[in-house]
Amino acid sequence: MTATFSERLISSLNMFFEAVLRFLPGLLAAVLILIIGLVVGWALRMLVAHILRVARFDRYCDATGVTQALAHADIRSAPSLLVGRALFWLVFLSFAMAGLSALQVGVINQLIAEFFLYLPRIISAVLVLLVGFLLGNFLSRAALLGAVNAGMPSPRLIAIVVKLLIVVLSFAMALEQLRIATSIVLAAFIIAFGAVMFGLALAFGLGGRDVARRVLERQWEREKEDAADGFSHL
Amino acid sequence: MVRDTSFLPDALRQQLAEVGQVDVLVGIPSYNNAATIGHVVRAVQGGFARHFPDQRALLLNSDGGSKDGTPEVVRQASIGSFETILAAHPLRAVHRITTPYHGIPGKGSALRTVFGAAVLTGAKACAVVDADLRSITPEWVELLLEPVLRQGFDFIAPLYHRHKYDGTITNSIVYPLTRALYGKRVRQPIGGDFGFSGRLAEHYLSHDVWASDVARYGIDIWMTTTAITGGFKVGQSFLGAKIHDAKDPSVDLSAMLMQVTSVVLTLMGTYAAHWRPVQGSQPVPVFGFEYAVGLEPVPVNLARMLDRFRTGARELRSIWELALHPATAAGVARAASAPDEDMDFPPHLWVRTIYDFAVAYQHGRVNREHLLRSLTPLYLGRTAAFVKQTRDAGAQEVEQILEELCVQFERDKSYLLQRWDETGGGS
Repeated sequence: MTATFSERLISSLNMFFEAVLRFLPGLLAAVLILIIGLVVGWALRMLVAHILRVARFDRYCDATGVTQALAHADIRSAPSLLVGRALFWLVFLSFAMAGLSALQVGVINQLIAEFFLYLPRIISAVLVLLVGFLLGNFLSRAALLGAVNAGMPSPRLIAIVVKLLIVVLSFAMALEQLRIATSIVLAAFIIAFGAVMFGLALAFGLGGRDVARRVLERQWEREKEDAADGFSHL
Repeated sequence: MVRDTSFLPDALRQQLAEVGQVDVLVGIPSYNNAATIGHVVRAVQGGFARHFPDQRALLLNSDGGSKDGTPEVVRQASIGSFETILAAHPLRAVHRITTPYHGIPGKGSALRTVFGAAVLTGAKACAVVDADLRSITPEWVELLLEPVLRQGFDFIAPLYHRHKYDGTITNSIVYPLTRALYGKRVRQPIGGDFGFSGRLAEHYLSHDVWASDVARYGIDIWMTTTAITGGFKVGQSFLGAKIHDAKDPSVDLSAMLMQVTSVVLTLMGTYAAHWRPVQGSQPVPVFGFEYAVGLEPVPVNLARMLDRFRTGARELRSIWELALHPATAAGVARAASAPDEDMDFPPHLWVRTIYDFAVAYQHGRVNREHLLRSLTPLYLGRTAAFVKQTRDAGAQEVEQILEELCVQFERDKSYLLQRWDETGGGS
């Protein structure tokens, strides 16, 4: 009985130590991979931030309104640093996944495989959001300038509507990329977009008939005034 | 010097070969100008006959594909009997060619064809006149060609009598800025009607600008700036009043202002090394007999201008703050918040505004098109202040006010240089 117990104890301990010995190289490899990931991520972050600074990326972001939009969101870092940081986390996360796979745990391996399959979708969704954001800012400012110079009423509102439409559209496209409730997002977007347009049409045509008339009359008056102005600017 | 004329249409090259050498050439760029170009052609024909009867002359119409029969009008336009304007018949025939031009649509491409024809025919003196002119007379041809042909000038800019509210972009931006930058008092740098030598035509052709905005709409200021910076002998001729067809109403003020200022500011970047050491300005010789001209009154809507200025100040502050120095932005805000009767946009504030925009344009902190479109309300604010100031002023008094503005531009050039260097603009 005693022999059986000690044998079992020793056998269990042997098995535990063997398991630990089998696990340790994997753990060490995982830690090493994480450290390499940190170093590579940091180096890439510095390199990319430097290249972007040299390429005047921050000025381009100033020019396209990205910096101002980030400032509104209380993000004060230079865009080149932000891109560097994003790259660092992407690299570090990829190395972390590789490190976890070195542990050779079945469930984790499966999750990692799924993560790497999903990664391109995350990247394309982020790109779609970024492009939408840039386009929204650019067109919103263009609409604001156009409305101010044409003497249209509520130029700020026009600019906000333009930006909102583009950002919402890009958000829906990003969610579609991520395959998150694809049909619901699509349906919600179509319904919301249609409702907004229909609502605007109704509000302008029926609910705000008097306002619409006043706006159109004002615009007509402005056009007549413009025609009456005899300035030849050149 | 590069003399590439391969861009000329084959048919034109053949026609020019048949014409051979000429002494004087007048080019008329056109696009759908059937209503007015006949008068311009007759005036040029009369000018050749009256003032250059013994010179070999060529009239070249460079057309942008008119749909209204402009080339036919050019071919058929005839002065009738020369006896009504001449004491004697011309000794030489006037050659007349109408040709489509190649390249991107625009006056610049049309004039490139004229430059090419001038080089191929060996023309000594050339001129270009707009096809929509209603006030051109045969004397314009003499005034634009004579100083080039007989007095050794290379570039003759026009000098018009204009209403005090006519040409406000020229008066408040293009003339004072060009004068302060390059040091030559060319009063109408974007006048549109110029005289130039064959040597200068060749110089123009040697520049690779024919795929840029110069080819579309910036040719006038480019010709003037290139002549000055190239060290050519520059003069100006008094042509009287300039009356022309109303511009295309689809081209709004904002687009017009953006087009003009974008070319001026781009050239400013290109020729930075040339204008940086220039101080003050020199008068430019004037040809022709100056006389007073009766001008049509110009209706002005001051309230609308002030409204646009204030709307801009309210809505575009975030864009202006990226371009304007804080002190300038504060001055603009004060002007916008003042009641109508006290509102002023003084010269020093306007000069700083323009210089700040010039630096921002080079620096690229704001998208260039957006930046220049945001200038429109500021321009209207300055114009409104100018209208208030000159409401009861005569032509001479207005010219004196413009002279003071120009002097302010020259005086503040050190400010421009300082900001230009601080931001590394265009260097």
